Amino acid sequence: MAEASHGVGGLTYDKSKRSWPNELNIFIALIIIIVIFEILGQVLPYMNGQSFLFDTQDRFNSIFNEARLRIIILQVAIIGIISLGVTQVIISGGIDLSSGPLVGAAAMIVMSFAQTELVNGNPNPKAVFGDWAFDLPVIIPVIVGLCFGAFIGAINGSLIAFTRIPPFIATLGMFLICRGIAQWWTKGQPVSFPTESFAWLGSGMMPVVWFILLAVLCHIALRYTVYGKHTYAIGSNEDAARMSGINVKRHKVLVYMIASMLAAFAAIILSSKNLTAQTGMGQFYELFAIAMAVIGGVSLTGGRGSIIGTVLGAMVFGAIQSGFTYIKLDAFYQLMAMGTIIISAVVLDQWRQQRAASAA
Amino acid sequence: MKKLLLTAGLTALIGTTAMAETIGASIARFDDNFLTVMRNGMVDYAAGIDGVDLQVEDATDDVAKQLDQINNFIASGVDAIIVNAVDTSATEAMSQAAAAAGVPLVYVNREPINVDTLPDNQAFVASNEIESGTLAAFEACKMLRAAGKAGGANGYLLMGQLSNQAAVQRTKDVDDVLGMDMCNFVNIIDRQTAEWSRDKAQDLMTNWLSSGESFDVVFANNDEMAIGAIQAMKANGVSMDDVVVVGVDATQDALVAMQAGDLDATVFQDAFGQGEGSVDAALALARGEDVDQKVYIPFQLVTPDNIDDFLSKN
Repeated sequence: MAEASHGVGGLTYDKSKRSWPNELNIFIALIIIIVIFEILGQVLPYMNGQSFLFDTQDRFNSIFNEARLRIIILQVAIIGIISLGVTQVIISGGIDLSSGPLVGAAAMIVMSFAQTELVNGNPNPKAVFGDWAFDLPVIIPVIVGLCFGAFIGAINGSLIAFTRIPPFIATLGMFLICRGIAQWWTKGQPVSFPTESFAWLGSGMMPVVWFILLAVLCHIALRYTVYGKHTYAIGSNEDAARMSGINVKRHKVLVYMIASMLAAFAAIILSSKNLTAQTGMGQFYELFAIAMAVIGGVSLTGGRGSIIGTVLGAMVFGAIQSGFTYIKLDAFYQLMAMGTIIISAVVLDQWRQQRAASAA
Repeated sequence: MKKLLLTAGLTALIGTTAMAETIGASIARFDDNFLTVMRNGMVDYAAGIDGVDLQVEDATDDVAKQLDQINNFIASGVDAIIVNAVDTSATEAMSQAAAAAGVPLVYVNREPINVDTLPDNQAFVASNEIESGTLAAFEACKMLRAAGKAGGANGYLLMGQLSNQAAVQRTKDVDDVLGMDMCNFVNIIDRQTAEWSRDKAQDLMTNWLSSGESFDVVFANNDEMAIGAIQAMKANGVSMDDVVVVGVDATQDALVAMQAGDLDATVFQDAFGQGEGSVDAALALARGEDVDQKVYIPFQLVTPDNIDDFLSKN
């Protein structure tokens, strides 16, 4: 593993991967999955020769079925945003289980500050606060949400950095606390009917726009800044990072804060997309976010992985989900197939890593 | 001496009747919209009755936890227990535990598997699930006929969580209605679960839309999924005048969607009424009064014609 490791952190830690970047493997896997669905579509008798990715019915102005391309990425964009943060946490050697419930809690809180006064000319039946909280400028719910995320992340990070309890336990506790907050906020009642400007944030393809924008930002931060170098360094070898003068504790708090703020932002987009916030929102999101990162080649032992990989991992998820609906696979089999694919992806990655290590 | 004992006994008796009656309730999950309305119905109703103390617990969809909660209620000596079962096939043990301790038990909203063999001091309060899916599906069938589509129509079916009795029943109701001579012109293109969730229904509908098949009707097992489908169709430029969308529950959000002309029919399940009814039944059983073992609160069809009657109900 640690062969050819010189320079700071994980940036130049393994030259054997330079020639054949891990991301390329995931991209190939994505293509293979799409080809499989394409073939199934032609083979299965009830599909009438419909194509998965191409426009065979002349509905669009291109050779592709644009609606399919859009939904593949749209349905993973929100969990994808969480996954960007989770990627950074895992690279730094940690784990964050609290992101799903954080989405639920943040959505409830954010939506309470984004409500409109009149619905179809009637007073809002779901009002949480009094008159003062109606029709606030959109920036207010966004700031409230991000502050809440930063607050939760700071607690996560501080617990892990200063009390030295394992990240798994700290964020598991926060998992329960956030679910509790989500239910306590309105005693379980959903919060609906946001202002138009708030509804715009997650309308149409906006979730994808945010996902790409944030992915680019996170990619730059991880790859080209001191922040990124320190994150890889801590994940690769925490003691070495400390000895070389990195303030490990402060950096960990920062990583968890960024992850939780990304999850809170995902909550903003999710509640805006659905025009409602409900306490059960974000269920299993933490696990899917972790799975996306892992499929994207992020190593759970820390120090290895990239944002590009995670984005591709998210797209693998999107393609599978869309493909299942496309071939009209029974709901019962979907979860089984999904689980099998996640496990095989990681097994394949392990083999490839071991081969690379023994070849080096 | 005898007199003294009698007075002591009487005062003790008076003492107990003057004491608050306590009811323990275990709800399948707190973060379910419908169950929240029902729970609030119970809490508000109990708070309005003098000397009734209601304690509500969240079973977080965990069968084992729910049984523990019931045993805890029994241990702390409540006068009656209300259960909204997590798993309707696991109610036998709960009935036995309560019967052994002599504590009255009321099942609410979800029909326990042992509903026909309940002990004397146990009852079931709910709406008859068969009505809900049937009312909605039949209304959709009538609307399609009225729109002149009796020659043949295509539809999608959004199902709730497959482990849930209501999802299974409502799906079967749709199938049964579409099996009738009057409605068998409707063909279901595909059926998938969106797990009761608006977000999942949005993604699922968008996936269906991307296949480009034309359709006339969307059946949803609940309103949240119907709203998700509507949002996806509107985002993809489908005119809501051309598609019949029906749900179940008549939530506030759904009624607003109906006012906007997007949702065509839903079914009102009186969540508040079920909550109140369960408290009533529990109190009656605790006082040793006669209670029907099955109390049915009726479902009602909601369309744009009678929507005003329901605006302030859920």
